[in-house]
Amino acid sequence: MKLKLNHLVWAIAFSTLLFSCDDSTSERPLGQYETGVLIMNEGAFGSNDGEVFHFDPSSKELKTDIFEASNNRPFAGLLEDMVLTEDRLYLVANTGKVEIVNPGDFKSLGTIANDLDQARSLEVVGNKLFISDYGPYDSDYNTPDSYIAVVEGLNGGSIKKKIQVSNKPEDLFTYGKYVFVAGSEEGKVEIIDTETESLLKTLEVSGNPQQFFEVNGKLWLYSTGAKEIYFQSFQLDNLSKASLLTIPLANATSRMAFDKAGLIYVLTSSGWPAYQDAVARVSLSNSTVETNWITGTGFYGIGFDSQRELLYLANSKGFQGNGTVSIYLKNGQLDSEISVGRGPSGFLIY
Amino acid sequence: MNVLLWIGLIFGIPPQVQDTVHLAQVAVYAPDLSQFTQGQKIQTFSSIELKEYFGRSLGDLLQENSPIFIRQYGAGMLQSPSFRGTSAGHTAVFWNGLPINSPSLGQSDLSILPIQGVDQVGVQFGSGGALFGNEAIGGSLHLNSKTEFGKGFQGNFIQQFGSFGQFNSSIKAAYSTANFSSQTKIYRESVENNFPFNDLSQAGTPEKKAANSAVSQVGIVQDLAWNLDLSKQLKASFWYNQAAREIQPVMGSMTQDQQEDQNFRLVIDYFRFGEKSVLNLKTGFVQDNQIFNQSENLTRQFFLSTDYDVTVSSKWNLKTGIRLNSIQGILSTYQANDQRIETYQSFRFEPNQKIKISLNLRELLYQDQFEPFIPSLGADWEIWKNESNELIIQASLAKGIKIPTLNDRFWEPGGNPNLLPEESKSGEVGLNWTTNTVANLENSLTYYRMNVDNWIIWLPKGSSWVPENIREVLNQGIEYQGSAKTQFSSWNIHANWSYTWSRAISIKGIDGNDSGKGNQLPYTPQHQANGKIALEKNGLTFSIQSFFVGQRQVTTDGPRTMPSFQLVNFGLSYQKVQIGKIQIPVNFQINNLFNTEYQVLYLRAMPGRSFHFTLSIQI
Repeated sequence: MKLKLNHLVWAIAFSTLLFSCDDSTSERPLGQYETGVLIMNEGAFGSNDGEVFHFDPSSKELKTDIFEASNNRPFAGLLEDMVLTEDRLYLVANTGKVEIVNPGDFKSLGTIANDLDQARSLEVVGNKLFISDYGPYDSDYNTPDSYIAVVEGLNGGSIKKKIQVSNKPEDLFTYGKYVFVAGSEEGKVEIIDTETESLLKTLEVSGNPQQFFEVNGKLWLYSTGAKEIYFQSFQLDNLSKASLLTIPLANATSRMAFDKAGLIYVLTSSGWPAYQDAVARVSLSNSTVETNWITGTGFYGIGFDSQRELLYLANSKGFQGNGTVSIYLKNGQLDSEISVGRGPSGFLIY
Repeated sequence: MNVLLWIGLIFGIPPQVQDTVHLAQVAVYAPDLSQFTQGQKIQTFSSIELKEYFGRSLGDLLQENSPIFIRQYGAGMLQSPSFRGTSAGHTAVFWNGLPINSPSLGQSDLSILPIQGVDQVGVQFGSGGALFGNEAIGGSLHLNSKTEFGKGFQGNFIQQFGSFGQFNSSIKAAYSTANFSSQTKIYRESVENNFPFNDLSQAGTPEKKAANSAVSQVGIVQDLAWNLDLSKQLKASFWYNQAAREIQPVMGSMTQDQQEDQNFRLVIDYFRFGEKSVLNLKTGFVQDNQIFNQSENLTRQFFLSTDYDVTVSSKWNLKTGIRLNSIQGILSTYQANDQRIETYQSFRFEPNQKIKISLNLRELLYQDQFEPFIPSLGADWEIWKNESNELIIQASLAKGIKIPTLNDRFWEPGGNPNLLPEESKSGEVGLNWTTNTVANLENSLTYYRMNVDNWIIWLPKGSSWVPENIREVLNQGIEYQGSAKTQFSSWNIHANWSYTWSRAISIKGIDGNDSGKGNQLPYTPQHQANGKIALEKNGLTFSIQSFFVGQRQVTTDGPRTMPSFQLVNFGLSYQKVQIGKIQIPVNFQINNLFNTEYQVLYLRAMPGRSFHFTLSIQI
């Protein structure tokens, strides 16, 4: 889902720019979990049994519960997002914690366990972590106290500050010293100045902002609406909106993936009474959409492997037990299926 | 009375109660659980056995002393029973003959049924749809008040202190004459539950103290009974229990949920005793109000029933009745009403002294659905008897039914009004052997087999969860229970033990390629055992009790299993402290003696060793 490899490239570029005399990172051999596909299994509500599985697409070998295997303790949370930086992988739990592991062997480097509520995503800027969090529910199950938590130290620590943002912040994106926040409930993109740790600017956007992504050097925001989806691009030098692309597509969910060519794969779910799920394939370049490219029920996550040109489609199987991941070729033909953990919801693909 | 008229209309028999003078009732009458349950396993707990569970819940009693598995969501938190591999909603719970399961949830939380509220507990195993109606699929629980006439004044006060901020008090006052009986019980329980546990969700699994897990309960029970004349008895009971709980978060979560449960139950019975018959008119009211954080879910149930129990001849007994049930639900997301009418007939035939056969039938009408045929058939056959031995073979076949709950049908969003009832068919064979050759020894061995179909499961459909008749499950198992009473020099020795093997296999999953098919259901141990030995001499009692719960799968097909655990409890009591006429028994108890770290359900912390001191004052 929220694959941040592109951010990584940007982050490295910027850190090199900012700290050019810093002795740059040495080439280190890749760890066993730094190739192939990490499968994020969200876990079931009330069970906190989220976990990461590792899949090797060439040997088809699947390693289960790799966090627990490496750390002799369960992940114990609902896994919401995986954010990779150069030498750390941040596992963000919606149950209010962040586990920081070495991406090579998944050994724990630290935990942020107190004072978070419903963490959604994370960004690293310099030596600080910025964590989007819904905040606690109020009595009507609204989240009026959503925030971006600031933590000093890349291996975690206590929360230094909570920056109030609009309800239900989701994905984050870093540009230089700025962090963009996808404010999913109120249709806002909030821009945070990471030096002053305060809200700098708010942009009103169409739909419900879900995820930032970058194609051909351009930053896009994917947002959902009842009948349409929106792709908003940004002008980064003056932190403003650029063009908006509106594409008619009903019942789109927050889950999407994209490839290098600008093809976007969006999960849709019809809801009552048909409960039909589908993958819609959208072209950013010519604004076309194939609504029912793949159809089925129980779709819960999606990822695209640009290098191997494979589409990974996760099925929750009703959260009753193991979910599945179906692997499709680029032409939409089913290649294989694997049984994974509970509530598979996203992928990190090396 | 209208009710009498109904009986007449439905069965075409006028309710002729024989007005022959009956002996004055010395006991407050309650129909016997085993009257028509031939061929089915029954276990009962007397008030003396319940006394040891002062300050604890019905769930604790059953987990430690019966083949039932209790799914426990933390210390003092939700306890739901699993009988013979079935789910929490597959257990009917009765209080003084009134079904008290929540109509919106279709189950009872055993942690908020404190032992202090009742005098007697009966457990019936296996499907009992014909005898007990809705929800008796895996079995049923029968909680009763037991009061007497002609005992004068009796009273006691009990105070208990324990680890983790436990503070329980109870006061009981009973007064009875030959024709009037009253018993009042008031209790208050509270526990901070700030027990230490290793937090598996944090790096280094540091020891932390449980937080947001305090529980307090207060309640009052009033039982009244009158002998109106020599052949008529009236009794009434009410029970109000209020539980305020912080909901202990699952490890890794920081939730601060609060739950308050207010349960009010009222039952009024009128009995008219003929020479060979008993007519019962019963009316009842149950109100459950659950406030979870700010969301409130209220249900009310009204009951009106009557039955007529008659000894037709020395070989034939017959009972027939009707129950009307009106349900009103005002839930946080919907409002709904439901009406149910049930009629039932039971026959017991004893061709000779060795054989008892019972046949039970029930017809159930709810909304526009009609279930015309819910039967059970069972027999007890005494195959061997001499001066010191008795061997009885039991066998039965039965059907059970569960009407989809109000939430299943009406919850917004997702409620599915087209759900079918869950249905079970069960059979069992058992052997009961009692002997007094070496000691007073009782052994029972039961094999059961059950099929539950149309099992309702909530599945996510788009953004909402929707219940569907999904699963079919095949359950089978063996229950072995034994007890012994003997004397050794001047010690009275009492021991009991049990072992349960339970297989509950999903034979139809959520779709054609459900990889859980053929596997054991989640949180259903294959092996369970418990045992207890008590040594008593001159009022001094030592007891050691232990129970074992085998491995449980977290899901039907996942790799995660919960390890088995065994806990040991130790008790020491002295009954003979006396000041004048006032008895002051004292009791000291250590639960989880070896401070075993365990979880019943994944990541739900449970307390280690705890100490409890109980002082009673009895008049």
